[in-house]
Amino acid sequence: MNFAQQLINGLVLGHAYALIAIGWTVLLGVARLVNFGHGQMYMLGAFVTWFVMAKTGLPYLVAIPLSMTVGVAVGYLMQRTMLQLTIKQDLVSVMIVTLGFGHVLEGAAALFFGSTGQILDTPLSLSNIYIADIWITWQDIAIILVTVVFFAGLKYVIEKTELGRLIRMVAEDPKLAALAGIDIQKIYLGVFAFEGAAVALAASLVAPRTPILTSMGFNEVIITFVVVVLGGIGSVAGSYMAGIGLGLFTAFFGAYVSAAYSTAAMFIVLIIVLVIRPGGLATRPGGH
Amino acid sequence: MHHPLQSVAWWAALLCLLAAPWALGGSGAVYSAFVLIAILAIMSYGLDIIVSDLGEVSLAHPVFFATGAYTTALASARWGLDPASALILTIVASLAVALLIGLVTLRLREFVFSLVTYAVTVVGMTLAANWSFLGGSDGIAGIPVFQLFGYAARTDRALWPVAWLFLVLTIYLVSSFRRSRLGLEAMTIHLNPKLATMSGIDPQRIRMLVFMVSAPITATAGWLYAYQRAYISADVLDMYFLILMLTAVVLIGRRMLAAPLIGVSLILLQEKFLSLGGYYDRIILGGVLIAVLSFLPRGLSGVAIDTYRLLARRRSAANS
Repeated sequence: MNFAQQLINGLVLGHAYALIAIGWTVLLGVARLVNFGHGQMYMLGAFVTWFVMAKTGLPYLVAIPLSMTVGVAVGYLMQRTMLQLTIKQDLVSVMIVTLGFGHVLEGAAALFFGSTGQILDTPLSLSNIYIADIWITWQDIAIILVTVVFFAGLKYVIEKTELGRLIRMVAEDPKLAALAGIDIQKIYLGVFAFEGAAVALAASLVAPRTPILTSMGFNEVIITFVVVVLGGIGSVAGSYMAGIGLGLFTAFFGAYVSAAYSTAAMFIVLIIVLVIRPGGLATRPGGH
Repeated sequence: MHHPLQSVAWWAALLCLLAAPWALGGSGAVYSAFVLIAILAIMSYGLDIIVSDLGEVSLAHPVFFATGAYTTALASARWGLDPASALILTIVASLAVALLIGLVTLRLREFVFSLVTYAVTVVGMTLAANWSFLGGSDGIAGIPVFQLFGYAARTDRALWPVAWLFLVLTIYLVSSFRRSRLGLEAMTIHLNPKLATMSGIDPQRIRMLVFMVSAPITATAGWLYAYQRAYISADVLDMYFLILMLTAVVLIGRRMLAAPLIGVSLILLQEKFLSLGGYYDRIILGGVLIAVLSFLPRGLSGVAIDTYRLLARRRSAANS
């Protein structure tokens, strides 16, 4: 195993992790919401992209926005259903409801797309670049570019714009925000729709790296947990750094120790962080 | 069960349950369904005391279920131990796992607690699917017939009295727990943390102890499941069991002794006798979980009570 190749793999993987987690980062840190159906929404995003390209023959660039539209619809529907729980800030119930949505999405996806694995090939993932003995695809480059642009844009919106200010205010104190005349329902619905779009975008870009299965959501959500927790809950810049750190860790652990246990190893990292620095878990409402 | 009349009612209901599969025609499928209901109800009671009494949502309970199933598979199929020894090992193993998870999650609350316990389940699944000691992706086959004190349970019909007995023991244990000092202290922490602190209750110690009561209950279900299936693989950590437990616990209403049993029975009744196929069943189960929590926070019993009160009020209004 070539060290430089693993470094590149780790960086690509890290940007992929950060992009997959971004919806959760906003959801949890900015709006104090959780979504255990995140992994299944990722799965759905990947399958919609695959379906559009393989069954209708539309190009990749059309499939991505279509997949994001489905993501927005699912996110909106989820939040619409549990709006009362969200407004009561009954996080425990919100958590179980989203877990239930994940279960439903998995069943529905298996019915609609079939339970066999598929390969999501895109024009980008099929074109390779070789630099000396290092191999990379255009898909990998696209993941890095989109992640960087997305994070920069998000940080700008949350910190510098009127919309970002409203969202942070709702996170800080929903009741006070409502008194101040902010339509908090609209903000909650919007944040969940954003989560749906973000995870679908991540799926369209990242899923071509591996075969896709309707049962894959279960695992995907762990990566998101670890990124969000390591980055300091709610921190946009923090989850970017955590994603990259975790990507490098997984690449090297997979190459030099064991690929099968890389999820377990990731979890051990999470535990160590929790035990050493439980304060890192304190939710900072509106943190950025 | 502390009121004498209530105890009598409970025993009558439980004895009816014992005879129910026979009364329903006594076919193999009916006995299998009843054994499975008893197993999954025992599994859900373990989670029930965490959710209803401690007020936290543990997503690590599939790991306790799997601990019981795998310990039993190893003890019986590999080491040739009898069911009683396998049960003792199951309880010891589940206490060890609970201690480990408990220590890590002791200071965590609410969603961070749930998040970490969920991660425990996912890691448990990768471990079970990859570790050759646990049979890897092949699992462990060849679990012998349940045979204890000369009683051999070769079919689900013969296993049913055993499953019923453990269900009764579980219900008794949960009812005693709720009346015990520990159960009351757990409720105090759940409902009024400030009062708990002022009364000198140490929340971390109580949480740990409740965890240690809960884990062996769910693991015992795994023990029975291994004997019913005769084969155990990483499938015991499937999300299905977690969703089923959660739905069973919230479906009827919280902190009601019979609720998990009735919840599991309703779910299994649909899956065994009114099934629309695996994927549809999954959508139904998830949908029920979503609907109950989003729209019926007190469960079906809440709806029943409200309807009864409404009817009673109407009747008295009509009479006057």
